[in-house]
Amino acid sequence: MSESAGANAPKPSSSVKLVLLGEAAVGKSSLVLRFVNNDFQENKEPTIGAAFLTQKCTLPTRTIKFEIWDTAGQERFASLAPMYYRNAQAALVVYDVTKPSSLTKAKHWVAELQRQASPGIVIALVGNKLDLTNDGGDASAAPEPENESAGADGDEAAEEGEGHDASSGNARKVSTREANTYAEEESLLFFETSAKTGTNVVDVFTAIANAIPESSLKTGRGAAGSGQTALGARSGDDSRVNLGERNAATAKEGCAC
Amino acid sequence: METLSETPWDAIIAGTGLAQSLLALALSRSGKKVLHLDRNPYYGGSEAAFSLDEAQEWMNSVNQHPGQSPFEDVKIFTYQHPQDSPQSTPSQHGSESSARPEGTPDIRAKLAASRAYTLSLSPYFLYTRSQLISTLISSKVYRQLEFMAVGSWWIHSPGHPNAASSELGATRVFHRVPGNREDIFADTHISMKSKRTLMRFLRHISKPEEEDDVETDEDLTMPFGEYLSSKFSVPQDLHDPLLSLSLSQLSQQDTTANYAVPRIKRHLASIGAFGPGFGGVVSKYGGASEILQVACRASAVGGGVYALDTGIQSLVDGDAAAEAEYPVEAQLSNGESVRSKFLFGSTWDLSAKEQMSPPTKVARSITIVSSSLASLFPITVEGAPLSASTVLMFPGHSLSNPQSPPVYLQVHSSDTGDCPREQSIIYGSVSLSGPEGHTLLECAIDRLLRAEGPPAIVLWSMRYNQMGRLSNDGTPSTLHPHSPHVYSFPPSSLDLAFEDETVDTVKKAWTRIVGDEVDHDDFMIFDDRDGASDE
Repeated sequence: MSESAGANAPKPSSSVKLVLLGEAAVGKSSLVLRFVNNDFQENKEPTIGAAFLTQKCTLPTRTIKFEIWDTAGQERFASLAPMYYRNAQAALVVYDVTKPSSLTKAKHWVAELQRQASPGIVIALVGNKLDLTNDGGDASAAPEPENESAGADGDEAAEEGEGHDASSGNARKVSTREANTYAEEESLLFFETSAKTGTNVVDVFTAIANAIPESSLKTGRGAAGSGQTALGARSGDDSRVNLGERNAATAKEGCAC
Repeated sequence: METLSETPWDAIIAGTGLAQSLLALALSRSGKKVLHLDRNPYYGGSEAAFSLDEAQEWMNSVNQHPGQSPFEDVKIFTYQHPQDSPQSTPSQHGSESSARPEGTPDIRAKLAASRAYTLSLSPYFLYTRSQLISTLISSKVYRQLEFMAVGSWWIHSPGHPNAASSELGATRVFHRVPGNREDIFADTHISMKSKRTLMRFLRHISKPEEEDDVETDEDLTMPFGEYLSSKFSVPQDLHDPLLSLSLSQLSQQDTTANYAVPRIKRHLASIGAFGPGFGGVVSKYGGASEILQVACRASAVGGGVYALDTGIQSLVDGDAAAEAEYPVEAQLSNGESVRSKFLFGSTWDLSAKEQMSPPTKVARSITIVSSSLASLFPITVEGAPLSASTVLMFPGHSLSNPQSPPVYLQVHSSDTGDCPREQSIIYGSVSLSGPEGHTLLECAIDRLLRAEGPPAIVLWSMRYNQMGRLSNDGTPSTLHPHSPHVYSFPPSSLDLAFEDETVDTVKKAWTRIVGDEVDHDDFMIFDDRDGASDE
């Protein structure tokens, strides 16, 4: 797949609202930066404020434009997420494979999404920082484990002493099997990634793009067309009012004289 | 960021109603450091929208803490299928609307899952020429929103010649209010003579302002009905339809011409601005609640920091130390203490030391019915979009007596995204609180559903009283200064259409904070962010 717009023939294009969730410092922003800019910043500062980025993803039959909402830096207040996942069609729930507590937090987010978000939302569970494990995308790139700030994705030095498995150079604390089993139980897409090396990052977004049902794309938003149409031929889509077309009509038409 | 107190703020905004959210957006995009709080665990305050479960939680919270919000006496009723409760159906509903003695519908119309509904506490719509629409466009916020048309206006007329026909659904006891010249010509229930007087009145009020000079001294302080009769000889039976176009929630007698006339003008001038056949729009997925959340999202992207479930407990107001850079110090409910140059909030959000009691109390209800009420959503003009919302007005005399205020029902079809297909949501409002008001609302909904016939039944309803401000109760829509740094917003509006004063109020608040650093004409005018525009 190609990451940027580049298809010569125009394909149907639709926007997909995607929300990024997960504990602070698991690498949410880094994943998006890798996807959008193919860039990685070592020891990235925690994101201040919230970020909004867009990136196109070209599939064989259509183009998906991701609108990515990052709760960056405001996780502690947990106040942006509910607003972000309102009407979102996709969610990326990120944890850190070297930090078991981050998977617990990710499970909380999944439960909340299943309870509160649009019923048709596509959820991908992503274990990031694969580069810190033995099976990391690029083992040679694995940094010194005893270095606390080694969290490749801008970990703000997790306080609770993470007894990294220094001898083996393998900091993995969450097994692929455990996370994968959980993802299967909850019908989530599942990937392990490294924003640092780029392993699997594009694959996550492509998989999400492929998993978004056609029906929810037509309406542009919300769950698979629920509540969009009323009586048979009635289509909520056709009757949307386009505010971009104010000059299409003049006051005169409506004037009673 | 680990704590809210580690940095001083340019502005703390308490409460996430529409006005506060627009202010947060304007400030964050003007480079100000904004902390936006809400003491509730949800966005919107008195303009929030809820699922069924959230509505239940909200009811419990309001009833347990009387006097802490502009709401009181919330009650929820859920339809019990007779089959489900063999013993006599609980008289919970108390009204005829629930128990249909004969011909109880066999279809098992059911409530869908809690989240299939978005029930709005403030279901007001926007006129297409509203300043808010211009603001949403200039700030590019509209790109995140979807709007649906508000279609016809209907007047309850029980003696309607169609009342005997059972084929017309609900419309057999409602008369569609003509919204333009073609409508008036086509209307078969208005006599030629009445049509002429109506045309004369409409021509008079839609004259451009300049040509009006000669008559600017016309007396508009008289009651609207009297104005119509004495100046234009408009017959009595057309007074209520015209009143409904003004959306006045007071009776004809209590509505002055200077209230009604500009609003009827607004109604007529809005039709056609975004396409033929409609003059109002509602935002999908919860109306104002969706707009304000989109504003908060945009504000967060601009750097605003958000904390829900975090209220202001006490305030050290910097009157004494007015020279200090951050004179306002607020103690938050989460135990933190924050400093700021300015603090803005509604009176309910600022600690209640100077509680202004809102001037008006209305009865409201939200009702989910098991019918699409399709006949209320006709396409009346070629090329018009299918409307998703409609306005029904029940004149006082049609339900009780001529002195009663009118009852308004706003029906939302499933096209608003607020309810499942084959159901609709009816938002009722009457400017008469307590049991009297709720009896009128119930009666109006009952008349509508009886006219529609089976299978239209009430599946769920919620009733409450709400306090606030009506555009015709004489309350000014101005910021109230508690000190040079602390301001409260006016009580929230109870109007059925968004009143533009709110945008002015927000601009005043913004101006107060940005001072002369930015050109005031740039208020809410932003470029698209990278990649956010259309191709």
